[in-house]
Amino acid sequence: MSAAETGKRSARRLSKKTKERIKAVVYHVMVTSSCFIMLYPIFWMVASSLKETSEIWTRASSLIPSKVTFQHYIEGWAGFGNITFATFYKNSLIYASVATIASVASSACVAYAFAKIRFAGRGFWFSVMLLTLMLPGQVLMIPQYIVFSKLGWINTYRPLLIPRFFGNAFFIFLIVQFMRGIPNELDEAAEIDGCSKIGIFFKIILPLIQPALITAAIFSFYWTWEDFMGPLIYLQNPHLYTVSLAIRSYSDPSTGTDWGSIFAMSTLSLVPVFIVFIAFQRYLVQGISTTGIRG
Amino acid sequence: MSDTKLSRRDFLRIGALTAAGAALVGCTAPTPQVIKETVVVEKTVERTVEVEKEVEKVVEVTPPPPEPVEMRIAWWGGDARATKTIAVIQMFQDMYPYITILYEFAGWDDYWTRLGTQAAGGNLPDVMQHDYERITKWVADGLLVPLDAYVDSGVLDFSNVAEATLKGGKIGGKLYGVPLGINSLDMDIAVDLLEEAGLELPAPDWTWADFEQLCYAIHDSLGIWGYAGNSLFHDHMWKQIHISKGLWVFSEDGKSLGYDDDQISIDHLYMILRLYKAGAVQTLEEAVARQGESVEQSPMVVRETVMGFSWSNFIVTTWSAAGKDRRFKLVPIPRSGDKPAIYVKPSMFFSITKDARYPKEGAMFIDFFTNSIPANAILMADRGVPIASHVKEGMKGFLSPAQAEMFAYMAQVEADCSPTPPPDPARWADVRNNVFYPEFHDPVLYGLITPEEGAATFRKKANEILASG
Amino acid sequence: MVQTNSVPSASRRRIKTGRIQRQNNLIGYLFLSPWLVGFFLFTLLPILASLVLAFTDYDLFTPPQWIGLNNFKRMFFEDGRYWRSVRATFYYVFTAVPLRLVVALAVAMLLNQGRRLVSVYRAAYYAPSILGGSVAVAVMWRQVWGGRNLGLINFILQSLGLPYVNWLANPRTAIWTLITLAAWQFGSPMLIFLAGLKQIPVELYEAAAIDGAGGWGRFTRITLPMLSPVIFFNLVMQMISGFLVFTQAYLVTGGRPLDTTLFYALYLYLRAFEVHEMGYGSAMAWVLLGVIAIFTALLFRSSSAWVYYESGGGIGG
Repeated sequence: MSAAETGKRSARRLSKKTKERIKAVVYHVMVTSSCFIMLYPIFWMVASSLKETSEIWTRASSLIPSKVTFQHYIEGWAGFGNITFATFYKNSLIYASVATIASVASSACVAYAFAKIRFAGRGFWFSVMLLTLMLPGQVLMIPQYIVFSKLGWINTYRPLLIPRFFGNAFFIFLIVQFMRGIPNELDEAAEIDGCSKIGIFFKIILPLIQPALITAAIFSFYWTWEDFMGPLIYLQNPHLYTVSLAIRSYSDPSTGTDWGSIFAMSTLSLVPVFIVFIAFQRYLVQGISTTGIRG
Repeated sequence: MSDTKLSRRDFLRIGALTAAGAALVGCTAPTPQVIKETVVVEKTVERTVEVEKEVEKVVEVTPPPPEPVEMRIAWWGGDARATKTIAVIQMFQDMYPYITILYEFAGWDDYWTRLGTQAAGGNLPDVMQHDYERITKWVADGLLVPLDAYVDSGVLDFSNVAEATLKGGKIGGKLYGVPLGINSLDMDIAVDLLEEAGLELPAPDWTWADFEQLCYAIHDSLGIWGYAGNSLFHDHMWKQIHISKGLWVFSEDGKSLGYDDDQISIDHLYMILRLYKAGAVQTLEEAVARQGESVEQSPMVVRETVMGFSWSNFIVTTWSAAGKDRRFKLVPIPRSGDKPAIYVKPSMFFSITKDARYPKEGAMFIDFFTNSIPANAILMADRGVPIASHVKEGMKGFLSPAQAEMFAYMAQVEADCSPTPPPDPARWADVRNNVFYPEFHDPVLYGLITPEEGAATFRKKANEILASG
Repeated sequence: MVQTNSVPSASRRRIKTGRIQRQNNLIGYLFLSPWLVGFFLFTLLPILASLVLAFTDYDLFTPPQWIGLNNFKRMFFEDGRYWRSVRATFYYVFTAVPLRLVVALAVAMLLNQGRRLVSVYRAAYYAPSILGGSVAVAVMWRQVWGGRNLGLINFILQSLGLPYVNWLANPRTAIWTLITLAAWQFGSPMLIFLAGLKQIPVELYEAAAIDGAGGWGRFTRITLPMLSPVIFFNLVMQMISGFLVFTQAYLVTGGRPLDTTLFYALYLYLRAFEVHEMGYGSAMAWVLLGVIAIFTALLFRSSSAWVYYESGGGIGG
């Protein structure tokens, strides 16, 4: 190779590296600025939580408080009637964690049946399950409440937690779709090796659909965390309230509201969900390559 | 400054009033008791008549400690009201150690969702806060119990309450709800801005014609709205323009509209449209664009209007948001006829539900709420002006300017008002939500149909629905 | 083929099939049992109850009274608000759902590039969805779209010299405040797309690159087909939740102005809980279920044409 050609090649390579750099910068700028647009309302809420009450609405268009105050956090945290948000956080954390584990675990089991086992009536039950998703919750609320009332479960967490151990149609459908992305050859190979269907489930399928399970767990956690309708009608004792219910009880537009505390507590209530999200994200890794099996 | 926590000033005030009120509360030492005894009055060969006769005996007996009671109470309101009410509950529990109160509260919409669900499940609390517009239906469906027995036995002591006030909670002659306060509609006027415009405060018996002129004058002089906020054809306003003509919007049996002449509404609507056109009044569209904004952003607070109507207990919130340097006055709603347009309305009630396990203790709590001066010192008329005269008197020294204005206005209203109309018919909520606003109020004020068309549609559909109720 | 015993292969296959089928049924129902039991315990009775209630007049407080088809008659022929709610809901489903999915997929692909800080961006893009249906989101969203100079959007418009718009009050624009809200909260479908993208073996892309496929080619020939089960899932679920949309309308606009944002589920709620017509609400719910079921069935029908499963075959069709 002549010196000229080597020179040209290295010149091209250099510009390629610069091109990569430029692409990276453009990418980050684009993503960051659209992030800002996306997050503006959240910034606004956080900023408002740090502003003095008098300023929240009079200087609503500014994202920077003229004087930062943590008063709303302190007052908001104190809660009401000697029940602080510590209690509400404890309730919410237990509720969301248990519900998530129960939901995802049970949904994964059910999904395996739909996705990988040809049993009689599979199509029928799948359709029924989907149909349950299509009914607005409002009309089921009252009959379900009456059922739970007769069981004596009102004012406990039982109506909220126990149904979670029985699968969730949304997660089941989601996991089914992921399981069907796993080629049947894997199952068959394992079966030939003498593995039972149950063994296949635990040793092969579950590890391969980790991203789906993680995603379902994240959803379950945050849906449960912000669910208030269930707690609203089933929890009577304020000591049992969840964070979302407590924040909602704070606000009554018809009588004047302490917006500072609401914004402060709403900001705080984002924190656990974020932590869960960031902690679980590292499991959203590249799925195992399966091309070795094919061909 | 946050309104939710009780300040040191509050505690001092409560302390003073408690000391003053101690005499009223009484003590718990053994007292002479009035015992009901069965006494044989007549004895003949055929029969023995036993009659219960009250025998007064002086018995030095310490009453046995009653069974512990766990009672449930529910109300709607935000955190400010919650803090105050919880403090009152604690006060009550201190007085009666055997009673524990479990409380529940929520915002307006959530409250009715929850209570409706509890009603369907047979799980209502002992005491619940109730509303003028819904109480009829709940009573008709047998969900609330009459309280007259407790009034007769003295558990509910209304000796300091005007009969006319209690009438607002009576359905079919029986008392189902104890008013927690009274209020009335009023026109808030920003006196400082009015003076800036060089205009005078209207007389209490001013008319809508006066109102219209005043709006134009304000707009010409200051360039801001003469009126903004709640719609001038709000359904409450619709009721008041008929009351001022001596009519009531519903018939006696509640099965149809009670007036025949739609011209009253039509004239009123044309007035509103004229004011819209002149820019002297905030249009419905502009109001909707600002819906859900906080009171701190409302036109009255940010000086975009001079007048606005609301309930008299709102002035406290408005004034506190607007700042101490503003000046407001409450005047009655303008008249459309020769009678006053305003009436005394119970702001909200406490009722005892059919699922109550401890109705007597519930009644005791309601009595405490009504008559205790220390309790009301905490509540500070948050639910309206208290109904017991001795409480009103006792609070006079501690009122902020806003509260004082509210009290003064209610006194004026009580002196000169139309009689309180009966509670709304059970089907009114349906008519209001599904006919009055979507088919009448909104299309007319958005300029889509004429007032005549709207009134005709409203009359037809409202009568249909009311008749089926 | 070597015959290992004297039984004819056909009947041997039949015996084998019978036993395997029975075994499959047993294991299948074993794994299915959590959902099945829960369904019978907690869901079936309320569903049947709501179906029966659809034919009654039930005000929550007094026992329901049978009125036959009256609810449906009133709904279809006498209720103007009903049809307005239908129109608003269909408009929403056919604009908000595609918009949300497109944005979600685009962002997911953007975040799949394995650059630095991706996990931070992911969290940032997911944040709006976390706020979901909270009180705070309603307040903030109204602030953003508010009138005069209170709102961010109008602020931007006016600084560009454009007139301000009463977004929340104008009957033509109000629904778009909710559609943009749906688009803003694209976090959930985005996460699912991301998980799906992660499932696509990298070797496929490498092989395609070697074969000379460009970016667009890789997208249409690898990404889309491999992602199709997930796209299908998101499409079905987003459509269903689009028809059921409630919370945001309830909190932000309350159905105003002039019922242009009176979504079906919101109107149902108002009928059932505000004026205590639970029978009418149940009737509305079952009509909605029918409509959603039809659209879902259509989507499933179409799926055999464009959805590619590694494990092959379909469940219902």
